[in-house]
Amino acid sequence: MNQQELNNKLSQIKAQLISIEQTADNRIYLSCEARNAYAVNKFLFEDVPLRFVIATGIDSDDCFEVIYHYAYDEIGCIINLKVFIRDRENPQLESIAPFLPAAEWIEREIHDLLGIDFKNHPNMRRLILADDWPQGVYPMRKEMDAKIARGWTCETSSRPAPESPARRTVPLGKPILPVGPFHPLQEEMEFFQLTTDGEIVTDIDMRISYNHRGIEKISESLQFDQVPYLVSRICGICSASHPTAYVNAVEEIAGVTPPDRARYVRTIICELERIHSHLLWVGLAGHFIGYDTVFMWAWKYREPVLDLLEEITGNRNNYGNVKVGGCREDIPDEIVPKMLKDLDEVEKKTEMLTKAVLDDPVLHARLKGVGTLSKEDAIRYAVTGPTARGSGIAIDVRRDDPYAAYADLDWNVIVQEQGDVFAKAVVRLLETLESVKMTKEAVQKLPKGPIAIEVKEIPPGEGCGHGEAPRGETFHYVRSDGGNRPIRHKVRAPSFVNVPSFRASCIGQHIADVTITLAAVDPCYSCTERLAVVDAHGNIVRDYEMLLQASRDKTAQMQKELGWPGLKLEDLQIG
Amino acid sequence: MTEPLNILLQILVFPGFVFTVALGLVASWVVRKVSALVQWRVGPPLFQPFYDILKLLGKETLVPQQAQRTVFMAAPLVGLAGVLLLSTMLWRIAFQPAELFVGDIIVAIYLMVLPSLALILGSSASASPHAAVGTSREMKLVMSYELPLVMAFIVVIIKTGGQISLAAIAEQAPVLSVSGMLAFLVSLLCVQAKLGFVPFDMAEAETELGSGLYMEYSGPLLAIWKLMQAIMLVALPLFLVTVFMGGFGSAGMPLAWGIGKYVLVLVLVILIKNTHPRVRIDQAMKFFWVYCGIALAAAVVLAMIGNSCGWTWL
Repeated sequence: MNQQELNNKLSQIKAQLISIEQTADNRIYLSCEARNAYAVNKFLFEDVPLRFVIATGIDSDDCFEVIYHYAYDEIGCIINLKVFIRDRENPQLESIAPFLPAAEWIEREIHDLLGIDFKNHPNMRRLILADDWPQGVYPMRKEMDAKIARGWTCETSSRPAPESPARRTVPLGKPILPVGPFHPLQEEMEFFQLTTDGEIVTDIDMRISYNHRGIEKISESLQFDQVPYLVSRICGICSASHPTAYVNAVEEIAGVTPPDRARYVRTIICELERIHSHLLWVGLAGHFIGYDTVFMWAWKYREPVLDLLEEITGNRNNYGNVKVGGCREDIPDEIVPKMLKDLDEVEKKTEMLTKAVLDDPVLHARLKGVGTLSKEDAIRYAVTGPTARGSGIAIDVRRDDPYAAYADLDWNVIVQEQGDVFAKAVVRLLETLESVKMTKEAVQKLPKGPIAIEVKEIPPGEGCGHGEAPRGETFHYVRSDGGNRPIRHKVRAPSFVNVPSFRASCIGQHIADVTITLAAVDPCYSCTERLAVVDAHGNIVRDYEMLLQASRDKTAQMQKELGWPGLKLEDLQIG
Repeated sequence: MTEPLNILLQILVFPGFVFTVALGLVASWVVRKVSALVQWRVGPPLFQPFYDILKLLGKETLVPQQAQRTVFMAAPLVGLAGVLLLSTMLWRIAFQPAELFVGDIIVAIYLMVLPSLALILGSSASASPHAAVGTSREMKLVMSYELPLVMAFIVVIIKTGGQISLAAIAEQAPVLSVSGMLAFLVSLLCVQAKLGFVPFDMAEAETELGSGLYMEYSGPLLAIWKLMQAIMLVALPLFLVTVFMGGFGSAGMPLAWGIGKYVLVLVLVILIKNTHPRVRIDQAMKFFWVYCGIALAAAVVLAMIGNSCGWTWL
């Protein structure tokens, strides 16, 4: 199906829409009223069919907007459906989660942040707000800014009793195996409650949001050229992908194209990032199944890649090398020979590692047929990246909607059909080799010229930028009103859609297989949890000092309430 | 008066508790150091295992409120006593084989099960869901490897002409025959499982169960488990040496020869540990019952044929 056919399809629902606009080659904006939203979404997902990316909730002046972003990967087109909710007092929308499980989390998030009520939602619990956050206070509404400016904190507002038992969400009496909030498997805080029958997992409940930094809210208070440094801090590993996706969006609004050399430098950094991220995953996966030798070896092979990144950008992570209109640091010509030599070495080692993994009979026994995510489930949960490619869905933003210099390079999208953990491992390993190949080609082809052009004004408008991060598609939506700050900046990291797919891949598995299944999507919680403006104590986070003070106060108060040190074990929710 | 004192000294100091614990901690250092070198790490200093134990001894002992207190606290001691008895017995056979009868292979088999039983008791008394899963895995694992292990010893008994006294078995080396080699290899894997080393560490599986069996243990009680593991690291390879490789200190052979055999077994254990991922419990059961079972049935038949035809190499 090409652009023409897509347009024909879309014109079938013209009656329910207010407008259809095409702002750029690959960007289509539809708009409709709230009452038609359900039917239009159903049509877009089931009849066109499109891949659901994310939804953005916006507090516009006179109404609430919810923008559903869809992607049409065959031609790399992003279709945005704007839904206007005119009733500001009692905003309501029909939930699309019943037919599109991928939308379950984002609807909960929008409900938390904007107070839009999604009717018929299967599971309208809080997703990211703390349990003791006061009800009826919605952080992403614009009126909140004024409140914060007046020194509003969670403490000063009237606080209701927590609406749900704080941590355990599975009913008491069912045998559960808690994985988290702190667990040796996980580097970050998240909480999986596995309902088990012997060794078999019968249900899984996920709880995230132990660590919010309010990136989207902070982004609205920064200038366009400051935001890349903020979003590179969403996640240390994806610290090239997020800024790249963001500048793609802003450059789309401004209508500028970065110089050729900048496009190549961006590509090289993004691919080096993918190499080190995938090698990191191989190591961790080895660790999770008790194969510590693989863990240490993979991380050793990864080290030269980090050294290269440090040599180019000055940092092993958090490169901060992308800016609107180009790049900040150039790749000096004299390190090119060294880069090629190091990459050869990385390639050799990765080949060895790949061969070792593919030939190991125990690994086959351990990973094949484990944690299978079927193609149908992969589509319903709208997963991306290696998780999708391991389930036979050949999507890759680098090929579908090329950015940076990907269109100039010769490479393959790696796809495996089986959908099990082994398939995902194969995808990642082979992708690492592809990335090495691409990086070498890009380094050799590196064109001469400037690395940035000056961008003075960001005109009013909106743009969608996405990029292929190591874990999948990272998507940024930016809206500008012509000022020097984005008025809305939505970030969707790949783990936000990959993590909910655990419900499809973990149930019916052995406990022993769940950990590696959880790890197989390479979940990144710091990416998933980048929103809201609360820390675990429910304070508005303004600066470090205030947080520290609040934390001390809270500890002191808890000590008093509990009669320190009489912490009881059942408080820890073990059984 | 001196005789009981002497026995007590033997159990508590040499070659019993103090000696074996010291040796075991050194052995656990070897395991850690060699693993580190295989993984391109630096590894811990020689005294690290001692420091670990000392530190644990100084920590608070936490007992979960819902735990069965007595069993929870007694289990480590039972396990420690079991391996201590086993190792003392083996050392006496190594150093003073002719002095008196100290035990046969069947006693040794019983003593070797004690640590696992104690672990199962202790962790199931701890009322933790992670430990419960670990316990169930440990039980299944014990059931899987005990059968092959006993069959391997049957091969040894056949090869040594019906001997069950360890001292008598130690005078021969069944490993130098086809059936004896098969039995040795299977027993080596059983020892791997008994030690709770990869690929059979599913009962404590750090990344799944957060150390499973040992989850609720802390302080001195955890130190006792660690000591038990350290002694097992001496006793189990030593047992293999005694049963399969002609004993630790055979007459006329220098001490270095015995140490060499022990180190060989230990290195094999470490290499297996570092070149495999953890298997699932059902895979382990299948491995021990089906593959090891068939291999040992063949070994028993071979040994019997070898015996009746007089072919000692079979």
